[in-house]
Formats: sequence, structure tokens, C-alpha cells
Amino acid sequence: MVGMNEMDYFRLDRMLAGCAAVLINGAAVAATQGSLGTTSTGSVAIGASVPNRVELSGLSDVSFLNQDPATAALDAQNVCVWSNTSTKGYNVTASGSGTASAFTLSNGALTVPYSVEWSQTSGQSAGTALATGTALTGLKSIATSANCATGASSSASLIVKLSTANLQTMQAATTYTGTLTLVVAPE
Amino acid sequence: MLLVATPVSATIDLTRSKLTSRSRDARKQRASSFLLNAFAFALLVGALSEPSFAASDKVRIGNLTDVSFGTIANLNVDAVASQSICLFSGSATNGYNVTASGTGPAGAFTLSSGTASLPYDVQWSSSVAQTAGTQLTANVPLSGQVSTATQQTCNNGPAASASLIVVLRSAALSSAVAGTYSGTLTLLVGPE
Repeated sequence: MVGMNEMDYFRLDRMLAGCAAVLINGAAVAATQGSLGTTSTGSVAIGASVPNRVELSGLSDVSFLNQDPATAALDAQNVCVWSNTSTKGYNVTASGSGTASAFTLSNGALTVPYSVEWSQTSGQSAGTALATGTALTGLKSIATSANCATGASSSASLIVKLSTANLQTMQAATTYTGTLTLVVAPE
Repeated sequence: MLLVATPVSATIDLTRSKLTSRSRDARKQRASSFLLNAFAFALLVGALSEPSFAASDKVRIGNLTDVSFGTIANLNVDAVASQSICLFSGSATNGYNVTASGTGPAGAFTLSSGTASLPYDVQWSSSVAQTAGTQLTANVPLSGQVSTATQQTCNNGPAASASLIVVLRSAALSSAVAGTYSGTLTLLVGPE
């Protein structure tokens, strides 16, 4: 074409290649091959699918040492929940190591229940109470990277509580242990 | 050609001028000397300014295939797709340069899924079967490449002569919104 230089042809090629990339019935048009000339242009379509993913990180063990039975025990920690869905939504399901996954600690012979709460905001000392094995849905994350390495350093709060009533059932000078498991899933 | 024409014009002007015989001889001698020098200079300039795209300085890129990463299961590691392609250069040195552009803003190497985007890297190697090469910048030629192809479609000689590598970095994958991404990478090659 009169008046077109190499860059014009390059731009035209790119425009045509862009048009070729339009999805047709879900499949991109195939690669284009260059021809022999003073310049040669080819193109490839590139496709990738990123699946829904979540990641829970930043968890710390919870330890109540020499807890006064007259004072309720509370441990709140900031954790990172990352979700890559378009809404950054997720749900969380907790389970304990007690009978039927109950939230209980044990010293072998005796058990004591504890409660678990969750907040989709970090820095909280109270949240929504969780029931073992039941998902808390409709949560949103502000995390922008999978382990909060960049952006917000945390995105949720995990709160574990031992009430005074339950503390007062515990045997003194005895260690109670248990494991709390948390499962997050994308929404 | 302009350099050659100028002294010829000067000669005509000299012959038309009204000068004494002695001074005319001296002028003619100087003019002849000038003509010789100018002619030699013109030859030199002509040699140096020979069009860089002579008839034989042709290139061809081919055997390209689409890049499909499919569903990327592990977002914490780089996803790499490399392909060996045919890059032919008919220049005296078989040299070429390559310029890549994507379908992102200003030719950026990005894939898109609706309003979401996913950046990728493009690397180039003048050797086949490579999984790493020289990083390309969108719209910036990578020069100094040399092809081993002896035939424009690589039907004879080496079956391929370069590697195109596309990389989805884990940092980009782990911060991308879930979805199906697509885009087009365009490659322009020129002889050197």
C-alpha cells in the first residue's frame, strides 16, 4: 500500500493478529505463519486458565499458660486468607480434635470445651462463632497475594476462647491439649 | 548518485567560464583531481550506503504453534511453554532481529479475562529446544541473532532454528483473578 512503512505494516499485522485472537466457540484461531520477505510476521494465540484457589497462612499455636479460672481466656490472632475469585470470597470450616471433631482440649482423662470465632477483618477480638464441621460462608478477603507477602499483611482474625465456667472445671497443674483444624474454600 | 552528479555539473560550469588559458589549465587540473576524488568518494559512499534490504536479505518466521497452558494447577511455580520454530534469514550473515508485541496496552505482554489481566514474559533463543532465553521487551527489537536455517521453511537442513519461550510467573499467577485468559503474541523479524 502506498505510504505505508515497515512500522505501519507491523501495526496492521498486530491489528489483524488481535482480531484473529477473538474467541470463536471458545477456541482461539490458530497461529499465523510469516512469509518470506524483507520482514516477516507471525503470531501465536496464548491461553491459560487460572482455577479458583484459596490459601490460609500466618497461623500460630495457641497457648494459655497458668490461666486464672476467674478470668476468661482469649487468644486472637491475625491470619492471612487469600482468595483469587472475582469476589475474593471464601468460606471457613473448623473442626476440633475432640469426639465428633468437637472443640475440646484433653489431658487424657478429662476434656474441656473451647469456642472458636472468625472475623473476615484482622485485629478483631470477637467474631462469628463457628460450629464444628459447619462452613461459615459469605466471607471476603482483602489479601492481594497468596500468603500476604505483598499488600495487606493479614486479612482475618481467628479467636479462641475458654470461658470461666469451663476453666473452673479444669484440673490445676495439668496440661490440656488439642488441635484445631481450619479449612477454607473459595466462593 | 547525487554526489556523482554534482562534480559533472561543476565541470560544465567550468568549461563555460571565461578564464585565461593558464588559469583555465590549472582549474581543469584541479577539477580533474576533484572529479577523481569525488568519484572515489562516491564509490565508497555507494558501497557503504547499499540498501540494507537487498533482494537476498529476506527472512521468514514459521512453524509457530499456539501456546496453551491449560488449567494451571500450581500457582506457586512458574508456568513455562517453549517451542522450537523456523527462523530463516537470507542475509550474508544469516543475522536477524526479532520484535515482539502482545495484545495488552501499548503492545504489553498481557493476557486478559474480561477486565482482569495476566502478564507474561517472552524469551527468545537462537538455538532450538531451549526453555530459557533472552528476555524480550514489548516493541523493542532483539538484535544480533543468527539463524542456522538453510531453507526458508526448514524443510531441508535444520528442522528448526530458534526457540520461543512464554513464561507465566508464579507471582503473577498467584495474584491473578481466577478465570480463562487469552491473548496474542506477534513476532516481527527483520534481517541483519
